[in-house]
Amino acid sequence: MTMSRLGIQSTEVIDRATKLRFKWNGKRFSGFEGDTIASALAASGEHIFSRSMKYHRPRGILTADYWDPNLLVQVGDDPNVRAGHRLLESSMDVRSQNAWPSLHRDLKAANSLLGRFLTAGFYYKTFMRPQWLWPTYERVLATFAPGGKIDIDTPHRYHDKRYSHPDVVVAGAGPAGIEAALAASATGAQVLLVEHQHAVGGHLRFSSGDADQAALTQLQATLAASDVEVLTDSTVTGRYEDNWLGIVQRNHPIAVERLIKARAKVLVVAPGLIERPYVFEGNDRPGVITSGAARRLINLWGVKPGERAVVFSANADGDAAAADLDRAGVEIAEIVDARERRRISSTTGSSRAVDAVVVDAGLASNQRIDADLLVVAAGWTAPTSLLNMAGDRPVYDATAARFFPSDPPANVLATGGIVGDGSLDQLRSHGAATGRLAAARAAAVRHRLQAHTARALAVDGTEPAWAPDERSPLGRDAHPELYRSDTHGMVDYSEDVSSKDLVAASKEGYDSVELAKRFTTATMGPSQGKLETVNTVAAIAEARGETIAEVGTTVWRPPYAPLTLGALAGRVFEPVRVSSIHPWHEAKGVTTIQAGQWIRPDHYGDPAAEVRNVRENVGLIDVTPLGKLDLRGPDVSKLLNLLYVNKWSKLAVGKVRYGMMCAEDGVVLDDGVTGRLGEDHYMMSTTSSGAGGVWEWVENWLQTERPDWRVHVTPVTTAYASINIAGPKSRELVSRVTSGVDLDPDAFRYMEVRGATVAGVSGCFMWRIGFTGELSFELHVPAGHGLAVWEALMDAGSDLGVGPFGLEGQRIMRLEKGHFIVGQDTDGLTLAPSTGMGGLIKLDKDDFAGKPELVWAADRRLPQIVAIQPDNPNIVPDEACQIVRGDSNEILGRITSARFSPTLGRSICLGQVEPELATGGTKLTVLLTSGERISATVIDHHAHFDPAGERLRG
Amino acid sequence: MADVSKFESPVVASYPPSSGGDPTLADVSATTKWLVRADADGPTADQLGAAFGRSQVAAGGALVLGSRPGEWIVLGASVQVSMAVAGLEQPEGLDSSDFVSALDWTHGRALFRVTGHGAARMLEKVCSLDWSDPMTPDGAVVSASVAKVTCDIARNDADGAPSYLIFCDRSFGQYLFDALIDAGDEFGISVVTSTA
Repeated sequence: MTMSRLGIQSTEVIDRATKLRFKWNGKRFSGFEGDTIASALAASGEHIFSRSMKYHRPRGILTADYWDPNLLVQVGDDPNVRAGHRLLESSMDVRSQNAWPSLHRDLKAANSLLGRFLTAGFYYKTFMRPQWLWPTYERVLATFAPGGKIDIDTPHRYHDKRYSHPDVVVAGAGPAGIEAALAASATGAQVLLVEHQHAVGGHLRFSSGDADQAALTQLQATLAASDVEVLTDSTVTGRYEDNWLGIVQRNHPIAVERLIKARAKVLVVAPGLIERPYVFEGNDRPGVITSGAARRLINLWGVKPGERAVVFSANADGDAAAADLDRAGVEIAEIVDARERRRISSTTGSSRAVDAVVVDAGLASNQRIDADLLVVAAGWTAPTSLLNMAGDRPVYDATAARFFPSDPPANVLATGGIVGDGSLDQLRSHGAATGRLAAARAAAVRHRLQAHTARALAVDGTEPAWAPDERSPLGRDAHPELYRSDTHGMVDYSEDVSSKDLVAASKEGYDSVELAKRFTTATMGPSQGKLETVNTVAAIAEARGETIAEVGTTVWRPPYAPLTLGALAGRVFEPVRVSSIHPWHEAKGVTTIQAGQWIRPDHYGDPAAEVRNVRENVGLIDVTPLGKLDLRGPDVSKLLNLLYVNKWSKLAVGKVRYGMMCAEDGVVLDDGVTGRLGEDHYMMSTTSSGAGGVWEWVENWLQTERPDWRVHVTPVTTAYASINIAGPKSRELVSRVTSGVDLDPDAFRYMEVRGATVAGVSGCFMWRIGFTGELSFELHVPAGHGLAVWEALMDAGSDLGVGPFGLEGQRIMRLEKGHFIVGQDTDGLTLAPSTGMGGLIKLDKDDFAGKPELVWAADRRLPQIVAIQPDNPNIVPDEACQIVRGDSNEILGRITSARFSPTLGRSICLGQVEPELATGGTKLTVLLTSGERISATVIDHHAHFDPAGERLRG
Repeated sequence: MADVSKFESPVVASYPPSSGGDPTLADVSATTKWLVRADADGPTADQLGAAFGRSQVAAGGALVLGSRPGEWIVLGASVQVSMAVAGLEQPEGLDSSDFVSALDWTHGRALFRVTGHGAARMLEKVCSLDWSDPMTPDGAVVSASVAKVTCDIARNDADGAPSYLIFCDRSFGQYLFDALIDAGDEFGISVVTSTA
C-alpha cells in the first residue's frame, strides 16, 4: 500500500502554502495547514498508525474521520487523540499507542499467536481462580492495557462551560441539517447548528461532483449570512429529559474544550449516515478502507490512497469512490458490484498490507486480484443515538438494509439520511420542512415558558396548538444486506472482537444482544458502536438463525462521542468568602485557614503569644463569619421558644441569652446567643459553619409549620463586620472609640447588648459576650466600615498592647474555658443532655424542636462531654484518640479537642465519655495514635481556667 | 474620635483602567439597598408596585425589585431609597394586617453592573438562566446561581444596551467580581467606574 500526496484538488481543504512540521514517533514529518494528523502521515507514505487492542495487529486508515478506530494516537501528553479528526499543528509530537517497543516491531503482537485462546470472555474465565493470584494477574494485565499514557504532572488546562436556551438545536450540518437550521431561523427562531466535523456540508464536502460543490457553496454562503449560530468541531453528546443537551465544542479559541448545556425547545437530529465496514477475513488489514475514507483522502486532503484498487460497491457512494480513485490516478483493478450479488471473500498479504483481494465467485473458484487497496462501500449505520436517548427505538428495514427512527417524541425531529434517501434536492427540501416544523413547535414551547415565568415578557392569547407533522417523507432506496461474507472477520476494530467471537458468545447462551455486547465488549470501544453495532447485531442474528429485526439493537446512551473528564467538569468555580477586614489580615502576613467557604485568619505567627496577650492585655479577632439572623416581628419569642431548648418569653430588651438548638431527634444542631435589640427586633447568632443550615431550619419551621406567625428572618452575617475585643483591657479600649454607650460594668453587664457608635460609625451594636473566657465585647459594625473600625481599634489600643489573634488562639482559649464546639465536641448522635448543659433544657415548655426525644432521654444515662487533663502535662493527644478500658480495646469515649494551654502550661482536653466515667477525678486511659496508652483525669468543670467566670464578668 | 470612614467595597483588588469594551463591569456596591418584606398581596405590595419577577422605578427614582413573593429590594441613591421606604413600617394608612419590615441591606450585599450587547453571552458562562429578551426582558428580576454563588439579578438596561445588576452576599463580592471578569474575558470585558 503506497499513499502519496496528489496534485491540487479543487475540493481540498489544505493550504499548501502553509507547511507544518511535526514529529511522528520521533521522526520529522511535514504536512499542510488543514491536514489532519492522519492525512499528513498518509501523504507522507505512512500506512500503519496503531496496533489493535488485544492482538496487536497493525492497523491502517479505515474511515479517515473521527470514528476511525485505527487512528488513536498520543499527541504530547494528550492520549487517545483521534488522528483522523485532529487537525495538524506545527511542532506536534505525535506518537503511536499500545505498541512496545515500537509501532513496527511490537513484541506484544505475540498475542495474535494465542488468538484462538483469547476469545471473548477469556479474561473473565481465566483470571477468576485462584483468587489469591489476582493481584499478580492485575499487575501483568495492566501492562497490556490499551490507550495512551497520562502524565499526572500535566498542568490542568482551561475547560470552559456555557449555558444556552435556543429554540432549535440542529445536530448535524449536512445539507438537510443546514436547511433545517436556515428554515427555522427564517421564522425568527433562535437556532444553534452543531456539526461534528470541522466544517459544515456533510457528505457534500468530499464529493467531487460539480452540482454537489455548487450546492455546498450556496449553503455555506446562506448560512454565513443568517442568524444561525454555527458550532463546528462540536458534538451533541447527549439528549436528556426535556431536551437538555450536552454539547462539546472542541475548537474554541479560549479553551481546549467547552461544554455547552443547552435547553432546546426542539431538537432536530440530522447526523447523516455512517458508513459501516464489511466483515470478511482480513478486513482489518491495512489497505482495506471505506469508500468514504477514499473520497475524503482524495478530495479533502489530496492524498492518493493506493496504487491499484479493488472497489467493492453496493451503492452510489462506492461508485463515486471508484470515479474519484480513477481521477486520482489509482488503477482500478476491479469493481466488485454487490448489487450484482458479487462478494468479497478475503484479502491476502502480510499483516502490514493488502497484496490481493479474493472475490467470492460462487461455485467457481475464487478470483484473486492483485491490489494494494480495497475500497468497501457496504452500506450504512444510522446513528440514532440522540433519538434513542429521547426514547425512540429504531426499527430495521431489510429492504434498505439499515435501521430507521420509529416514533421519537414531538419535540425531537429527524431529517436527512437518517430518515430516508433521495436526491440532494429532496433531502434539502425535507430538511427545510423539518426546520419550519421545529420552529413552529418551538414557538409553542416558548409561549408556554413565557406564560409560566414571572420575569418573562407577557404573552397574549392561548398557547399555539402543537404543529402537525405534514412533511412529505423521504423514500427508502433498496440496498443489499451486506454484513458478513462467507469468511469471518473483524466486527469491532476498537475491541478486537470478531464475528467468530460473537458466534461463540451466542453458543454460550448470550442470547440477548445487550448481554452479548457486554460479554464480548463489541460496540463498547472508542467508536461507541458507530461502525460496529449493525454488524454485531447481524452476526448474532446469523448465529441464532433470526432476523436482524428480531434481534434488535443495543441502546445507545450518552455520550454520542467520547469526551474528556475536563469537558464534563467545565470551568472550576470554587467560591470563597472573606470579611471586610481581610485585606488587613493579608497585609500582616496572616496564616489563613479555610473553614467551609470562608478564608479566615488562623494565626499571625505565634498563636501562644496571641493567647498570652489576650489574657494579659487585649486582643482583637475577626469573627465576621459567625452567623447572624435578623429576626423581626411580634412572634419572634414564640419562634425562639420553638427552636431552642430553653425559654425565651421573658428576655428583656437589651439582654442576650445563650441557646441550644436541637434537631427533631434531640441531637444538638447548633448553638449561639440571641439578643433582643428592640421590642420586636432580635439578632440571633449561630456557629460559623451552621449559619446557612440554621437559616434554612428557621425558614422551614416558619414556612411549613407556623406560616401564621408574623416573623421576618433575614440573614445578615456579612452585613456586619464582627470583631471580638477580648482581654482585661478590652473595656478601656472600647471606651476610647465608642460613644453613646455607658460601659460601666453595672450599666452594661455580661450577656447584654447595646447599640453604639464606634469610631464614628453609627448603626453598630455590641454585646458583652465572648468565647475566650475573658472580659469581651463583641462588636458588630456595618460591613462597609469594618476595616476602618478595626484599624481604629488597633490605633487606639497601641498603648494597651492590643494585637490580633486568630482562630487557633481562640480555640485554645475556648478550650481553656471549656466551651464546646458543635460539630467538633458533639457529633451526629450527641443529644443535648450530653453537653453538660442539661439544666438548659426546659421540658415544661409546651413544645420545641426535639422535645419528644429529650423527654425520652431525660431518664437515661448518656455519654457526657467532660474536661480531661492528661496526667503527663506535656502530652497532647491527637483529637479523636480513643478512650479505652485499661489495656483492653474496649472503647469508652474519645478525645474531641486537645491543645497545649500557654496559660496553664499543660495539655488540656475535652472528650466524650461513658456516663460512669464523667465524674470529676475519674482516671481514664487514652490510646494515642502511636499506640501508646497514657493516663488522664476527668476534672470537675468543663473549664480548665477560671471556672467561676470571674474574668469574663469583670 | 475618628471621622466616619467612607464605605469600603468588597472589591478591593485593583484592575487596570480600561474603556470601550463590551461588556463593561462596574462595582456599584456602595449603592443604598433596602430589603422590604410584606404580604405579597397586601397594601405595601401595592405601594411598592413591582410584582414578583419584575422591577419598577418608584416616584422618587429608586428602583424597586420584586425579588421574591412578598420581598422587595429597593435601591438607588440614599435619598431616593429613603423616600421609597419611608413610612412602610408604620401602620398609618396601611392595613393593620400587613406585617412589614424594612432593613438596610447596603452593607450586606455586593452589587455589580454588567452592561453591553455581549453581557448576556457573558452571563451564559456563569449562570444557567435563559437571558433572551422574551424570557428576561428589561425590568426582569430573578434569583439564580452565578458562578455557584446565590445572587439576585435585575435587568436594568442603560443607554439602549442590555444591563444587569447582580447582587450577592458581600463576602463573595471579590470572588464573584473576579469570576465575572474571567467570564467576560473572551468578549473583551472592561472594568469601569459607574454609579448604579
